[in-house]
Amino acid sequence: MQNRISIPIGPQHPLLKEPLSMMIDISGEKVLGGSMRLGYVHRGIERLAEQRNYIQNVLLIERVCGICSHVHTTTYCYAVEALLGIEIPPRAQYIRALMCELERIHSHLLWLGILAKHVGLETIFMHAWHDRESSLDIMEAISGGRVSHAANQIGGVSFNLDKAQAEMIRSTISNLRTQVEGLLNVIETEPALHARTQGVAPVSAEMIRQYCVVGPIARASGVDIDLRRDDPLPPYDQLEFKVITHADGDAWARTLVRAQETRESLNLCDTIMRDMPDGEVLVRAPRKVPPGEAIIRSEAPRGEVFYYLRSDGSENPARVKIRTPTLSALSMIPAQLAAIQVADIPVVLAGIDLCVACADR
Amino acid sequence: MTKFNLQSMIDKIEDATGTPGEVYDGINNDETIYIEPDQLVDVINILRDHFDCIHLTAITAQQREDQHDTIEVMYHFWKGRGITLLMKLPTSTPQLTSIIDFLPGADFYEREVAEMFGIHYTGREETPPLLLPDDWQNGPPFIGREENDAE
Repeated sequence: MQNRISIPIGPQHPLLKEPLSMMIDISGEKVLGGSMRLGYVHRGIERLAEQRNYIQNVLLIERVCGICSHVHTTTYCYAVEALLGIEIPPRAQYIRALMCELERIHSHLLWLGILAKHVGLETIFMHAWHDRESSLDIMEAISGGRVSHAANQIGGVSFNLDKAQAEMIRSTISNLRTQVEGLLNVIETEPALHARTQGVAPVSAEMIRQYCVVGPIARASGVDIDLRRDDPLPPYDQLEFKVITHADGDAWARTLVRAQETRESLNLCDTIMRDMPDGEVLVRAPRKVPPGEAIIRSEAPRGEVFYYLRSDGSENPARVKIRTPTLSALSMIPAQLAAIQVADIPVVLAGIDLCVACADR
Repeated sequence: MTKFNLQSMIDKIEDATGTPGEVYDGINNDETIYIEPDQLVDVINILRDHFDCIHLTAITAQQREDQHDTIEVMYHFWKGRGITLLMKLPTSTPQLTSIIDFLPGADFYEREVAEMFGIHYTGREETPPLLLPDDWQNGPPFIGREENDAE
């Protein structure tokens, strides 16, 4: 065996979109393993949340992530509402879910573009990011923000949808479906993408369980888990949708699962718009939260998001614990890197769909 | 997804450890069982072997305002619904057994509560910093918060 050498990747590196430090051990073209260091975008959000009141924290929590910001505030708000003992209006539940699905679409298309770029398919990258703009346009039109939407409030959502907006959403989703179907067709038939991802860094279902990995990565390894179906927040208990799984567990399976989930989220947007009840979108929530503890889980684009919230009856929460899906996925990377080729490192990292800011908090 | 039966889980814990798992009903949307810290590995083995419940979502630690001599540690599992194992450790010598030998996904969770709350894990070589800088000198940031906030 050739000499073992270690190559640093990060914390700043063209391969990474966010700062993360990895030390990868290689011998020739073969990767032997690696280690990882987080914390470069650690903002101490859990600690900061204890120094702000419940309403201020909605704005703070939205900054956990720049991709799935809405699902974080959704989960946090449901936790506060559980402690308050209030139920938000059904229309607000549907608007929250609509934003979650739009966020999933834009997150998956963003990821697809990054994967395509890493394997040298710039055209797919351009198309995926162009199509992603449509979901961002909808979110901007109805909430005012492309990335930080400020859609959630404790007690509901900040805006209602009028008929013109509802029509705009339906027509944009319809156009986006045509674009995504075209992309899916390319993904499923493009031999270069197939060759670069099939059989690369396979992850078994047992490994998924051992590393507590969730979301599309787990589903691509045949672990049929999706909190929208298995432990649903409203209104997902009333919505029918298909949970996409694949058996192979390789980078190709992870590509297919996310691509097909994008299609499924478009269907869900249609269902949500069709079934959305009329009515108010906000109930008045008391400012004072009684003492108590609550745990809420929800399905973010990358999998299970977890919030533990404890109130001691004061103005600020006594503890806010946030667990994001990328944290467990990151812990599996050293094991995934073992025995792959150096040229496949970008494919493995892209396959994880890293969100380092989420993991660091 | 098949959900677990809480009473059956409590019975199994009592059979294996000799002490009844006491239910804590203070957490909305989650089942919670008090266990002794030295029972942690045995109880997790019961969850895995008898209930196929091995998905560890998170480890939460906290220090309640009126209990400065205690650190609460919660292991949040999920199998169709949440099941939390709650332990109380003395602030002076907070110590737990690592579970990364059979659940490597717990590695980052253990490292985080080690650096944020000063919990010492036995059964693993070290708990290198995960989020805080390498030259962090100020001790676990979540311990003694009132004093730090006052400054």
